Amino acid sequence: MNSINREEIADGVFFSTVKDSRFKTMRISANIILPLTEDSASANALLCGVLTRSCKAYPDFTLLSKKLSSLYGADLTSSVQKSGDCQILKITAAGLDDRYTLDRESVARELSALICSVIFEPNVSNKSFSEDELNQERRQLLDLIDSEFNDKRIYANNRMIENMCGDEVFGIKRYGTAEKINEVTPTSLYETRQSVLKNAEFEIMYIGDSPSDKAKSVFKEAFGSVDRTPVSLKNRVVRRADKVNRVTDEMELSQSKLVMGFRTGIASPNAETNAARLMCAVLGGTASSKLFCNVREKQSLCYYCAARYNMRKGIMTVDSGVEGENIEKAEKGILKEIEDMKNGYITDFEIDAAKLAVINSFRTSNDTTGGIDAWYSAQLFDDKFKSIEELSAEINAVTKEEIVSAANKLTLDTVYVLKNR
Amino acid sequence: MDITEIKSQRVGDSYYKINHPSGLTIYVYPKEGYNSAYAIFGTRYGSINTCFSVDDGEKITVPDGIAHYLEHKLFESEDGDAFVRYAETGANANAYTSFEKTCYLFSCTDKFDESLEILLDFVQEPYFTAQTVAKEQGIIGQEIKMYDDSPEWRVMFNMLEAMYKNHPVRIDIAGTVESIARITAEKLYEIYNVFYNLNNMVLCVSGNVTAEQVLKIADKMLKPSEKHKITNYFKDEPYEITEPYVEQTFPVLMPLFNLGFKEKADKLFNEKQNAETEILLSMLASPTSALYRKLMDANLINNTFDYELFEGPGYCSIIFSGESRAPKQAAEMIKQYITDMKNNGLNREEFEIARKAVYGEMVSSLNSVDSISNMIADCHFCGNELFYGIDAVADTTFEDVSARLMNILDVNNCTLSVVKQAEE
Repeated sequence: MNSINREEIADGVFFSTVKDSRFKTMRISANIILPLTEDSASANALLCGVLTRSCKAYPDFTLLSKKLSSLYGADLTSSVQKSGDCQILKITAAGLDDRYTLDRESVARELSALICSVIFEPNVSNKSFSEDELNQERRQLLDLIDSEFNDKRIYANNRMIENMCGDEVFGIKRYGTAEKINEVTPTSLYETRQSVLKNAEFEIMYIGDSPSDKAKSVFKEAFGSVDRTPVSLKNRVVRRADKVNRVTDEMELSQSKLVMGFRTGIASPNAETNAARLMCAVLGGTASSKLFCNVREKQSLCYYCAARYNMRKGIMTVDSGVEGENIEKAEKGILKEIEDMKNGYITDFEIDAAKLAVINSFRTSNDTTGGIDAWYSAQLFDDKFKSIEELSAEINAVTKEEIVSAANKLTLDTVYVLKNR
Repeated sequence: MDITEIKSQRVGDSYYKINHPSGLTIYVYPKEGYNSAYAIFGTRYGSINTCFSVDDGEKITVPDGIAHYLEHKLFESEDGDAFVRYAETGANANAYTSFEKTCYLFSCTDKFDESLEILLDFVQEPYFTAQTVAKEQGIIGQEIKMYDDSPEWRVMFNMLEAMYKNHPVRIDIAGTVESIARITAEKLYEIYNVFYNLNNMVLCVSGNVTAEQVLKIADKMLKPSEKHKITNYFKDEPYEITEPYVEQTFPVLMPLFNLGFKEKADKLFNEKQNAETEILLSMLASPTSALYRKLMDANLINNTFDYELFEGPGYCSIIFSGESRAPKQAAEMIKQYITDMKNNGLNREEFEIARKAVYGEMVSSLNSVDSISNMIADCHFCGNELFYGIDAVADTTFEDVSARLMNILDVNNCTLSVVKQAEE
């Protein structure tokens, strides 16, 4: 098992190294953590994309792509996620480990330099980004928003959250809105970058066999000249639903989608999250879960019926694709399984199976560089990083009573139906 | 028993290929220091195998979607469900059916031996009754409807339907609600007995395991199969596409397209031909390419743009896909670019970059135990060897790729499929 070595290299800037020689590749990622706000979400998302399109040294998209391809098809990617009431911009560089290059080139060194330069030496002149690059990225982002409508499972889940968290910060979409995206200008984007460098929290992760010292010192030096005033990050959790909110949309589709959002009353940082996680797994996290065995296998109502737990927000979601006429039946079937859990109808077999499945997924994540990155990134808001062994031991220690007690805190908040016509 | 170690100097790994006396071919690829192991047990039998004979006997035709239906039903046995058995080992199990194969798999970090026993046991123990078969209609019916609502799935199958006149690759893997209604327990046993013969199957394991460990379980669990001659029949497929354009309206905000070039498919590509084609496609359409840049600058594609060599028994095509607000113009630009490339020849610097990129991506894929096992299974069913494919990329020359270009991507033999929003 690898271990992580985390060091603060500037105010609110942390550099972590996971030394691991098992992989053919190395990976560096920068998590840029900001408060999620209506005013800034779109500009931040655009910034993340624009930064990875080009930089001073490779001032257009094709030149940068060529550089990456010649580094044995290395990747430089960006993504935008929501974690609780925060927005995380993530820039990742990944490529072949030096040991496997055909002509013994050092990909690790070049990629470390490249990720630093996209953050610190962007393609700007006169305090302004390139208009062409911005417009291309703007188009990509607007297309991405439209494409989330294409996949009806994703769309239905988004609509549920939109309705459930409409009055909350979490209701803001990760890319903001098309309107705000269209307002961004080359100069306003430059200001966004300056403010992000100054105010965001940075968590940089280096995973691989090649030494990370060089990359660390480059980042340290670069941040040395930034006047840092990191903002404090907040996360508000709604613990209970007072009444059930029902929303139905209709569309020309073959199948209807049912998405149910529950308040669990349990969110991180809280020791009870382990019980909530297991409760969710027993309900609908595996192919031996209550929803799979009963709603799918026994009642043949659907192909998928799954439960997911958002630990930061304390929200559990159950979603399924069903025949229009079976929506009510499916909802009843799902609520019955939850009622059973509340009444203590959970077998040792179900609990053991959920524990094994959860721990298996923890341990499996350690076998890829992306999995290791995700493991630690998921803990960025916790007091300290836990190893897989530590968290597995905590999962194993959860009792049936704790799981039943977690189930009893569930309240149904929103039922969203996308009905076929 | 015949055990061969296949080593790669370049990537510093090795795997074992074992011809087991039961008839099964087994591959074991140990990954030192890994927590997990991933096993896949597959048969050379997919959605396209709808007409076949055994030992030159009578031709048998079965309903569309039956391979996939069988995959679902095999998880059930007389005394319960395989998922429930896996629940005791913590393994994460699944299965999938593609055009030319059906695979059962699991990944685990503990109790590997027990999980492998479960896998080898349930796949070798069919149990179908009228009642259990009937119950699955609702579940698979919803799976089919889920795919009916998937624009990505529809845009691809619409293209295959317009490209292929006779080959069953044009038929949805899961069949239709009507075709699966004709599936019975008897029919499932009939195909099971033909295609789930160990001589027609493969077991690939990679990760935290040794060959000895796998063989010990294999010796205990595998039931020797007698070898039969299986012949699959496909109606003659013309070289020409059927329709150059096909369109479907759908509730989407972002229109999608697939542009497929139909290729000759008399023989599957070997490692060398695969390597040449992958390098060529990277030169042609990766984000590094001049074509990608032109399409982007003209706002004809976005970063979902992708390409794929899509081939199997009796079918082969090269597909360019993505989202576009002007798919016809995107397709025209791609075709024009290919024509120009054929007239003007390739660029050596671009070749060098693409060769390195393809090589790096192949070596990187050896990080993951699931991609290793799946790639080995794919190679096995094509008669190829994983590491030879990597060597082939390293050894490919500019002249090889130039020659390949002249043999594929006929701009007069392609189909454009579009899914878009109905016009108000």
